[in-house]
Amino acid sequence: MIELIDLTKKFKQNFAVKNLNMFIEKGEIVGLLGPNGAGKSTAISMLSSLVEPTSGDVQFENKSILKNPSSFRKIVGMVPQEIALYEDLTAEENLQFFGRIYQLRGKKLSKKVDEVLEQIGLTDRRKDIVKKFSGGMKRRLNIGVAMLHDPEMLIMDEPTVGIDPQSRNYILDTVKRLNAERQMTVLYTSHYMEEVEFLCDRIYIMDKGNLIAAGTKEEIKQIISSEKTVSIKAEILKHDFIQALEENPLINRVTVGEKEVTILVPKDANVFSEVIKLAETNGMELTSVDNKTPTLEDVFLHLTGRALRD
Amino acid sequence: MIWHIVKKLGLYFWRNPQQLFLFLALPIILIMILGAALGSNFNSESSLITLKVAFIEHEDSNEQMVAFLQDIQDEVPDEALQAIESSLPSMEPIQIITSVFDNEEVNEFLQVDYVDPSERDVVMNDDSYTAIIEVPNNFTYNVLHTMVFGNNDAPTLSVTYNEEEQFGSTIVNNFLSDIQEQLTKGSYLGKNGIDLSTVEIEEIKTETISLNEKNPISASAYYTIGMIVMNVLFLAGAVSYYAFYEKELKVFNRIILAGVSRWTYFSGILISGTLYAFLQSCIIFLFSKVFYGINWPNIIDFLIVTIAFSFAVGGLAVLLSAINYRLNSETITSFFMNIVVTILAVIGGSFYPIGDFVPLIQTISNMTPNGAGLTAYLSLLRGDGLAAVSDNLLFLGLFGVVMVVIAALCFPKRGVSA
Ligand SMILES: Nc1ncnc2c1ncn2[C@@H]1O[C@H](COP(=O)(O)OP(=O)(O)OP(=O)(O)O)[C@@H](O)[C@H]1O
Ligand SMILES: [Mg+2]
Repeated sequence: MIELIDLTKKFKQNFAVKNLNMFIEKGEIVGLLGPNGAGKSTAISMLSSLVEPTSGDVQFENKSILKNPSSFRKIVGMVPQEIALYEDLTAEENLQFFGRIYQLRGKKLSKKVDEVLEQIGLTDRRKDIVKKFSGGMKRRLNIGVAMLHDPEMLIMDEPTVGIDPQSRNYILDTVKRLNAERQMTVLYTSHYMEEVEFLCDRIYIMDKGNLIAAGTKEEIKQIISSEKTVSIKAEILKHDFIQALEENPLINRVTVGEKEVTILVPKDANVFSEVIKLAETNGMELTSVDNKTPTLEDVFLHLTGRALRD
Repeated sequence: MIWHIVKKLGLYFWRNPQQLFLFLALPIILIMILGAALGSNFNSESSLITLKVAFIEHEDSNEQMVAFLQDIQDEVPDEALQAIESSLPSMEPIQIITSVFDNEEVNEFLQVDYVDPSERDVVMNDDSYTAIIEVPNNFTYNVLHTMVFGNNDAPTLSVTYNEEEQFGSTIVNNFLSDIQEQLTKGSYLGKNGIDLSTVEIEEIKTETISLNEKNPISASAYYTIGMIVMNVLFLAGAVSYYAFYEKELKVFNRIILAGVSRWTYFSGILISGTLYAFLQSCIIFLFSKVFYGINWPNIIDFLIVTIAFSFAVGGLAVLLSAINYRLNSETITSFFMNIVVTILAVIGGSFYPIGDFVPLIQTISNMTPNGAGLTAYLSLLRGDGLAAVSDNLLFLGLFGVVMVVIAALCFPKRGVSA
């Protein structure tokens, strides 16, 4: 449906986005994951034809949208990272204004406004001025505005930043529902890997303007398939025990938590007996030893040596 | 579409009391402060300020003229006597004074009551009179004597001013000194042996018209209009601030993504600036009508000037917005609000009628939107028609068009977010 080809954006001497290649198929939820400053917003702005790329192309149904963006703009709904709303207007007035600029009018407009208010759960606050809304309510309206014209595709730039868990779940469920019920295509940008894991079929991971990984959840996790994570839990962690783990040639990495130690070991290594033996020699009682499924966080850690968020 | 862009800006102004305060209350407060500073006459309720003056003639002037002719019979040669006798009607000082007072244009704001000397006490106790002019005994005789021989002390009118009406008193005083100038001119001419019959009343009439032109009665109207045309300029700044705020909020992106052409948006700003400047002007003018009695002789002409002026302001709004978008910063608007408006206000004469004395300055003044507006409004207030202000209207229209054209050239065509 839409394809980014070697898309590059340079601000002065810095590459915000460098040779980005991506595609999104109809009906998919695609995640774009990356830490602050990775270039996600810049990529999205180029994709939605708001920012001109330094080089590269964006194609919608095999036609470049750079010169003639109107056909693509019609079918896309954009949820910007910023709360792009009129704070002095009510929720309803905002929806009416934006609906109006999408050429909706009369009965059709008011019906659509009611429907969107229902979807974002703001029906009973429709007459309130946005200025008085909580962060979560503003975020929801920010999304609602992008859905007025029944877009085939929704581009969401960190739509859950800075809101309470309840609003966040509401938004995630809404996205899932829109995708399931209306086959809406979604490009979902976030630096919360658990959101992307929950929502997305396919994932792109960016860092410092570069694409560092791409594929389905499973494929991406395969990146670290040569290793596995094992979690060791105990009431009291003895220093000698941890030192013994670190000195063990089988174990690649040791991360110490409060009552938990995670170790990274080769996939086929059987470390259970080894760990139990070490615990016995150091006089320690273990509460559990488990294989952990790797997370995207682990992938990012593996690829960049850094955590996704500080 | 454009209407919706205009409407939401209206809602924004309406829902932000500080904006309303800035655009409506502040100019009104400024006008009220000026009103207080200019004295009570600023607050007159009549169309133009009407001054009431009592004129008391203590002795009949015809008798004095006859006496004068008799007395000089022996002193001047027969020929001169005949010349004096024939020009006497035009020399009569009371006539000269009353001809000024009875002038139609003067009568619009100056009402002269000719009062019998027996009622002097009544008039003196009547607060509604701004001034009481008394012609003392022998005044005509003495004036004629001074005019012909030039050697007497100049006779004086006795004027009693109402102290509570300083503003009006100043005006009456101005009148009288102009009349006095006329009278002394006569004596000067007589002294230099020029035929007295050439000193014509005509000359005094011209003087009267120019008196009316410098009409100090406009002081209240002048500063009110000066304040209005200055404050409406701020609206252009506010509209452009708002337009830039839309860009920063990224709602402009949303508007573009919705397929609205940027020229539609651009027109929305132009119309917003024009419409709200028009409304702002009308509201403050309405206030000035109700509280300061500034009435427009012809409401249609007034509206036409207001539309032209508002269009110039709309042009400014769209130019400022375009530059802000281009530079991706609102510094230009800040500069405009903090510095340019003040300069324009000074040049345009909002604080002081700087053009009154130097025609060149008046010309420059009329090259500012507010100056042109002020000049046009003042002309209308004086009773001139649209033809008299066509230059100002043309300038305002052209100014608006030039602003729009420059703005269109500046307005970024693509990639606004970059
Ligand atoms: N208009 C601009 N001018 C100059 N540099 C910019 C501009 N916009 C973005 N950048 C730079 O490009 C890089 C990528 O920014 P971008 O906003 O795309 O990151 P992001 O992944 O969306 O980050 P975040 O999670 O914080 O939103 C950053 O280093 C940023 O400073
Ligand atoms: Mg971003």
